[in-house]
Amino acid sequence: MKKLSILLLVMFFIITISCNSEENDVNPGIVNINFNNKVGNEILNLQQGNYNKNGNETFSVDELKYIISNIVLIDAKGNEFVYPQENSYFLINEEVSTTKRIALQDINANEYTSIRFGIGVDQSRFPLNGVENFVPTAEENNMIWSWSAGYIFMRLEGLYSSTQVTNTPFKYHIGSHGQNLDNYREVSLNFMQPLAVSSSENAEIDINFDVLKLFSGEHNMLLQNKDDVQIDPENAPKIRDNYTNAFEIGLN
Amino acid sequence: MRFSVYILLSFLILSCDNEQFDSESYEDIEESSYNPVFLELEIPSHFPEPTYPVENNRPTEAGFELGKKLFYDGKLSSTGVISCGFCHIQEFAFTHHTHIVSHGVNGALGTRNAPPLQNMIFLESFNWDGSIAHLDMQPIVPITAEVEMNETVINVLQKLQNDPEYVEAFNKAFENGEIDTQNLFRAISQFVIMMVSADSKYDKVVRNEGSTFTESESQGKAIFEQKCASCHSGTLFTDQTYRNNGLPIDSQYNDEGRMKVTGAEADKYKFRVPSLRNIAVTFPYMHDGRFQNLRDVLDFYDGGVQNSQNLDAELINSDGTFGIFLAEDEKDKIIAFLNTLTDDDFLLDDRFSEF
Repeated sequence: MKKLSILLLVMFFIITISCNSEENDVNPGIVNINFNNKVGNEILNLQQGNYNKNGNETFSVDELKYIISNIVLIDAKGNEFVYPQENSYFLINEEVSTTKRIALQDINANEYTSIRFGIGVDQSRFPLNGVENFVPTAEENNMIWSWSAGYIFMRLEGLYSSTQVTNTPFKYHIGSHGQNLDNYREVSLNFMQPLAVSSSENAEIDINFDVLKLFSGEHNMLLQNKDDVQIDPENAPKIRDNYTNAFEIGLN
Repeated sequence: MRFSVYILLSFLILSCDNEQFDSESYEDIEESSYNPVFLELEIPSHFPEPTYPVENNRPTEAGFELGKKLFYDGKLSSTGVISCGFCHIQEFAFTHHTHIVSHGVNGALGTRNAPPLQNMIFLESFNWDGSIAHLDMQPIVPITAEVEMNETVINVLQKLQNDPEYVEAFNKAFENGEIDTQNLFRAISQFVIMMVSADSKYDKVVRNEGSTFTESESQGKAIFEQKCASCHSGTLFTDQTYRNNGLPIDSQYNDEGRMKVTGAEADKYKFRVPSLRNIAVTFPYMHDGRFQNLRDVLDFYDGGVQNSQNLDAELINSDGTFGIFLAEDEKDKIIAFLNTLTDDDFLLDDRFSEF
């Protein structure tokens, strides 16, 4: 009888613990992330505007697309909530407003203080973690170099004028170069105030992306020097460095 | 007492997590046609460890059969008639036999010779320029290339989703039964994973299975090891590097090789060192299929190597000449040795054949 009581007590204990984790927490919630593409302080307008950039060049944008992946929310203690990797690939397309707002479901209730995400696709690791299922989206949006099955992480096209040319097309397509050059990068951004997530209210994050910083961050990119950068081991990493630092929290 | 324990336990369990025990999951279990029968994949004792993470996509009977069906189905192309097997013919180690460059939809001509499919799970990258790093992603290249199948992955998925045979086959092959890119590519990989060729005469000699080399084969092996094996090394007969072997630049294609993948001038004109397994049946040779037979290949290394950008250092001799000097009888012996690399068991293996 004593043995049975102990057994019963242990089982009760185990079951109670396994229940408790849910009872103590509030239910998971939704986090919406809005991507605002900008030129300096202005909202980017496609095919309009004649924006000034570094090096006395001006430009307009016809197309801006990038891939966001591997989203992680982090709390003040450094605990990470990793959004399921196979659902974590998003194509942001300036032209389609619905793509600029991504809704993350089932986020553990918590107060988060920062976010980390990837720009592009991390293909360096096995297994592929469901990234194959992003192929149709990438294909539809010309975000894949099909001859190498390599994703284009950042795609910026438009027209530029410099002291030497007027309204000339430019094209930046940045991705990894096979296994030779991995241009996948992750960005970490601190929230302005803790982001409370629970089932009772949807959390909102605004992330700004500044096209000007893509041209002139760590590296000074002049379109006049190179207006077509695709598989370019010299210039692609520079643009990558610049755009990695072109994201910031707008509001949360 | 016992009765109350059960009551208490069941009460606790019920109150705990209803979701795990809802009726839907029972239905799923009952209706699922996914009953995996795993295939045995034997890694030959003298082979390296696979680079492909087989444990993530273990071939099953149903997955292999689905992969085979896809491999031989023209649905993967825009015109409905060009299948993977069109350019990868089993009897010729899955190459496009006699075709200099491979053909695609509407008779379109590619720029390169279809490489053999064998021992793919041991390779680090794929295609003549190494543009693909993961076997599962490889099908994108031929499916979407205008001169090959000229199709989109989206369309292929749609065609398969509308085909009841495929709906059933995907249900059998994968737990979630989805006809999506991941399962499509994994099924094709399951078929290709099983293509291990390791039963040539050479293998039987190496494994002491009773075969012996003839004298000329044996001499050929010694010459090969001295003059060819620095690149065609190991049991796969390739060191899996990319090199410019000094082929005269073909102005029709002006193929820059690996530079297309890396963008680096240092990779211009470099191509993968191909495996030499089943080499006797995979003619024509080189990335653009310019040589019809092995003799032509050896004649080229002996006297045709040209100095172009990034010519491989192995082909630059101390006296300033280029290539590999080979006497005529040495060529005969090397060819005798290369013929021992043909694996008829693999070339005629029923498991892989279309019909």
